[in-house]
Amino acid sequence: MSSMPIASVRRSKDDRVLAGVCAGIAEAIGVDPTLVRLVFTLLAFAGGAGIVLYVAIWLYLNGKGWLAVVAVLAAAGLALRALGLSAQTAAALVLIACGLALIWRRGRSLRPGTPLSVAGLALAAGGVALLFFRGNSSISFLAPGALAGAFLFVIGPWMWQLALERDAERTARIRNEERADVTARVHDSVLQTLALIQKHAGEQTRVASLARRQERELRSWLYDRPSSGETLVGALTTAAADVEELHGVRIEVASGGDCAVDGEVSAVVLAAREAMQNAAKFSGAGEISVYAEADNAHIGVFVRDRGKGFDRRAVPTDRRGLADSIEARMARAGGTARIVTAPGDGTEVELSLARKL
Amino acid sequence: MKPRVVLVDDHALLRAGVRGELGTRVDIVGEAGSLADAIPLIKATDPDVVLLDVHLPDGGGEGVIAAIGPERPGVKFLALSVSDAAEDVIAAIRAGARGYVTKTISADDLADAVLRVAEGDAVFSPRLAGFVLDAFRAGERTHSDTDLDELTAREREVLQLIARGYRYKEIAARLHLSVKTIESHVTNVLRKLQLTNRHELTRWAAERRLI
Repeated sequence: MSSMPIASVRRSKDDRVLAGVCAGIAEAIGVDPTLVRLVFTLLAFAGGAGIVLYVAIWLYLNGKGWLAVVAVLAAAGLALRALGLSAQTAAALVLIACGLALIWRRGRSLRPGTPLSVAGLALAAGGVALLFFRGNSSISFLAPGALAGAFLFVIGPWMWQLALERDAERTARIRNEERADVTARVHDSVLQTLALIQKHAGEQTRVASLARRQERELRSWLYDRPSSGETLVGALTTAAADVEELHGVRIEVASGGDCAVDGEVSAVVLAAREAMQNAAKFSGAGEISVYAEADNAHIGVFVRDRGKGFDRRAVPTDRRGLADSIEARMARAGGTARIVTAPGDGTEVELSLARKL
Repeated sequence: MKPRVVLVDDHALLRAGVRGELGTRVDIVGEAGSLADAIPLIKATDPDVVLLDVHLPDGGGEGVIAAIGPERPGVKFLALSVSDAAEDVIAAIRAGARGYVTKTISADDLADAVLRVAEGDAVFSPRLAGFVLDAFRAGERTHSDTDLDELTAREREVLQLIARGYRYKEIAARLHLSVKTIESHVTNVLRKLQLTNRHELTRWAAERRLI
């Protein structure tokens, strides 16, 4: 819509009969010049409108805009007179067209919300008044219908075009927003992490943990892993991420089957989190494996490290993490916790819960 | 004798890293950065193992397996990827890879995996083992129209221990079996997985919105 063909019309220098106007129009809209000349010739028979219109466009192309507008109005009036309309009707229609043109010129469109030209409105209203109150009898019956029809033909496709454009604009906007989102999420976070890594290049654990966090974020974004707590595996992944962050360890979460989180399942997740935390704090192992399985009858979660292990009997009785946070919690949920460990042999916490469905 | 290995990955930095990690334990006979370079290289060098990135700029690693596999049955493929998304893992295994490991694997584990694949055994990462258990369980649920060969109880047990992060040696000790037996269980699972009707796995993946 932005490139009105009229804007690209140039008078043709090498193909001209009079001033090169017809050939120029033909070039701009891509049709045969003879066709344009034919149209102007035909219009010339309509009370001389074609001749005046030709002069009008010639004036416009020579930079005399206002004269051109007057000439166009004159041409339109002549054409309407030639069609057999009374002088009043022709003048009324020209006034309406003139008003609409002003309105359009002011706001660059007829969309709601754009500034309205008062002069344009007044002209159009005057035209309508002239049409209804001063027109002769035959026209006063015909004119409203004809006018409405003409209006529909002119405005209808235009409105349709506007609606299509708005859809296209919306699509483009959404696409741009998506692109901005990708840029923001991927590049900003990656660049930030890289900057941090450069600053902390000397601290091995800090660098590893930064890289790990970045990896996890990208991974969950790229592969759309469950990152929320809505499912067992999603909640375990979140818990693992927290523990990784806090203790600078690496936790691999694998799963065979998943299920939704309810009260009992969330107890399993909390117990598993405690087990991960214990492994991260006390085992000395750099990597922890978590495996979750779920089917209709049973949920199992395994948290394993290859760290130094421990002797249960040697754990001081004031250290209640294992007993309270893991075993007692699982018991309350109706499940069991089994801890397999020996000094030097790593630790595995097995959480098991039967599902009542 | 050290296995002869070809590295196929589009990141030169990663190839250099893997070369450094494996350097002394295997014999790296060639490197390629694309599908187009990899195929003639593998044909020319005829390695024991191809360490293959599943994402190459000119196509998936499956393309390399498809081009080489039928002609050179002696060449084994170990998929090495930064993505452990189920669809990539399953696609690589279905195409004929003998195993799947992620790029975060430790140097020792990677060397073990290469040696194991070179000997004709299979290598499953914990995540892959989890996927496989889940897929076969899904097959049981829809038993009437499934072509999934069922896993034996022992195979299931071995897979579960792999998923829990146990190494083959640890599994063998725990189950009072030899490492060789564990390896043959995993290899059997791989065979069942590769023989299984593709449709079944696709449905399993679709059910979990993985594809």
